[in-house]
Amino acid sequence: MKANYTINTTLLRILIYVILVILLFVTLIPVWMLIVNATRSTLQIQQGISMIPSTHIVENYKILLSKGLDLPRGTLNSLVLAGSITLVTIYFSFLTAYGIVAYEFKGKKFIYNSILVLVMIPMQLSIIGFYHYMVKLGLDDNYLSLILPSIASAGAVFFAKQYLESVVISDLIDAGRIDGASELGIFHRIMVPLAAPGMFTLAIFTFVSAWNNFFTPYVLITTRDKYTLPMLVQTLRGDVYRHEYGAIYLGLAASVVPIIIIYFLFSRYIVGGISMGAVKE
Amino acid sequence: MKRLKIKKEHYGYFFIAPFIIGFLIFGLYPVVHTLSLSFTNTTLMKMDADFIGLQNFKRLFADKTFLTAVTNTWELWLMNFIPQMAIAMLLAVWFTSTRLKIKGGGIWRMLFYLPNLMMPAAIAALFFSLFSFYGPVNQFLVRNDLQAEAIDYIRSPATMRGLVVFIQWWLWYGQTTIILMAAMTSISVSLYEAALMDGASGWQSFRFVTLPLIKPVMIYVLVTSLVGGMQMYDIPYLLTDGRGSPANSILTSNILMYMRFRSSQGHIGAASAVGVMVFIMTTIVAMLIFFLLREKKTKSEIKA
Repeated sequence: MKANYTINTTLLRILIYVILVILLFVTLIPVWMLIVNATRSTLQIQQGISMIPSTHIVENYKILLSKGLDLPRGTLNSLVLAGSITLVTIYFSFLTAYGIVAYEFKGKKFIYNSILVLVMIPMQLSIIGFYHYMVKLGLDDNYLSLILPSIASAGAVFFAKQYLESVVISDLIDAGRIDGASELGIFHRIMVPLAAPGMFTLAIFTFVSAWNNFFTPYVLITTRDKYTLPMLVQTLRGDVYRHEYGAIYLGLAASVVPIIIIYFLFSRYIVGGISMGAVKE
Repeated sequence: MKRLKIKKEHYGYFFIAPFIIGFLIFGLYPVVHTLSLSFTNTTLMKMDADFIGLQNFKRLFADKTFLTAVTNTWELWLMNFIPQMAIAMLLAVWFTSTRLKIKGGGIWRMLFYLPNLMMPAAIAALFFSLFSFYGPVNQFLVRNDLQAEAIDYIRSPATMRGLVVFIQWWLWYGQTTIILMAAMTSISVSLYEAALMDGASGWQSFRFVTLPLIKPVMIYVLVTSLVGGMQMYDIPYLLTDGRGSPANSILTSNILMYMRFRSSQGHIGAASAVGVMVFIMTTIVAMLIFFLLREKKTKSEIKA
């Protein structure tokens, strides 16, 4: 009986490892192919599949440039935009969450519950009204229209509140008050350093989702100079690049590789962050 | 000391004020504005337009494309969500099982999560390229005699639908696994020991201990996935021609909304009507799921 049980467990374990390995291939092969093909010439790509990187990355880049795809510009745009969105989101979500965690005021429960409900509302579907409104304000085709809404991101406040609840200590707040610090000063000088790891985790998530966001900029931004990487990726589908496979893959890889690097550097924060607040934009 | 504290409580309002103001201006107002636009015939050409009542909605319901788009969105979401939940559940059980002792749980989990961070636009463009007529997939299959000749996959509705579902699954199963694992590891071991004492089998302790305790987290995953799924756009848009081709098979409601918006006239009113309908539908379904299925202690459990 006992031996039987052990054999079964061993068999099951082998089966599980086989499944995990298959799953790992399915998960990683598309990304790996993307990166490898970015280094191969169009001719090589047409000759067959390979999993080994080649040496044509510069050549592919020159083709991209010659077709008018300004990859450095797009990268810079994406960096500036995603960076600003991240800063604004982090600051205001922690500010809001701190207000909820540290103070007892009337209507606080209602506000927090409303924020929870907001997480479940598909705000993106009001994009048309948002666009029309931005045109009226003269903010269409302007990054501000993409940055300012981050002041109120419900998911981020939810995450920040979960985090702050574990680090805010009322004794520290009182100590700050006795030292004559203002309330905002206490937040800036005592709470921000305390909450730094949580802020960093939220920053990674916000940055990645802003970096990957295609729909909102695609609706709001029209000038080609302001295109972000996902918008440039979209132009790669056009006829100009017909059969320039190497160059196309390079353009795609350029938008994906920075994120992979971030992930391998900070995966601990990321995996921990999902378990904690499960932020999903 | 005590008085000092009481006097300061109203500062809470100052801290949440930016959020409230930001929400009113950039969150609530656009929703209201979209709703009011949906009763007008506004176009991109002329910004000010007439009130036309429910005309946009009547036209929408008379239009078969809208029904197709909504049905597609639901089908594409469900077809990815069910296997996503099933596989994530299986993986989470395996990784947290004390009997199986699967090695390297952290590394597996980290690698399985990687796709979630990939830019959906780039991934859709990648798959478009992989499955194109002269692309690597056709090459591989033809050269290895698995297929007599190249197939135009991009024009095959079944293949394209399958791909959208696959990509969505691929992007999200890792995240769901991590969330379910976190929920499972937060369950006290003594509960399983008690179940074992009562002679419960592995399946029984999963069914009667694990499942009820992770239910709030499952509801959370379900609701957020639904809300995201109803707004599906990037992948079906960039996988084919941006019009839900072939034969409207991957036309989602968001793509339809965008098509109305960027039609030759730029029918903002009609596009708003699409947004409003999907907004109402999604919100009602999400709220129903959340309030009907949740138990009293949901909030404290989500935290775990």
